[in-house]
Amino acid sequence: MAGVPAHWEFDEVYDAVDRGCGDFIIDLKRVVTHLPPGTNLMVASRDAGAPVEIPAWCRLTRHRLVDAAPPFYLIRTRS
Amino acid sequence: MSNTFCVTITECKTNGDKATLGFVVANAALGSDKDTMIFLSADGVWAAVKGEYEKIDEGAPFAPLKDLVDKFVGNGGRILVCSPCIKKRGITEDMLVDGATPAGGAALVEFLADGAPCVAY
Repeated sequence: MAGVPAHWEFDEVYDAVDRGCGDFIIDLKRVVTHLPPGTNLMVASRDAGAPVEIPAWCRLTRHRLVDAAPPFYLIRTRS
Repeated sequence: MSNTFCVTITECKTNGDKATLGFVVANAALGSDKDTMIFLSADGVWAAVKGEYEKIDEGAPFAPLKDLVDKFVGNGGRILVCSPCIKKRGITEDMLVDGATPAGGAALVEFLADGAPCVAY
């Protein structure tokens, strides 16, 4: 995917395109639920609220936001 | 931090935007690992009535209300519907969507009294 930081290493990709807020979050949860702990997931969301929304979601759910380079976010699923 | 979250919605036919937003935020709470309950009252009860909730669609970027409600219920969210409010409107329990349950004010009070934060639409 063009623009993703070259040094990021990830196992899975979830591209939400331009979706954001609750409808995106509940789908993100469903994606993460099926991943083993410690999975590196690269999420893409071009929604204007995503730079605030995704870090908040990570704090709430205790998944680790490893790095952010909007519209790309590198998340490691919690152990 | 509380593990529960409540959304109250009092409009639907009168303001589809509010019903839609209420369910969007409830899905954000549910997707953030919160035990989430939606309390529908007044005109908001229509958001859980089969044959009615399909009619609310605010357009992009919002999903149709039916999709939001079905996703909420399908992911384990609870909907309580004010029982006198449905009675007033001639709505019976069999007309409600799966996952929606008639309840009185005490159920809402109990949920909030246990410490659930609440946002109103």
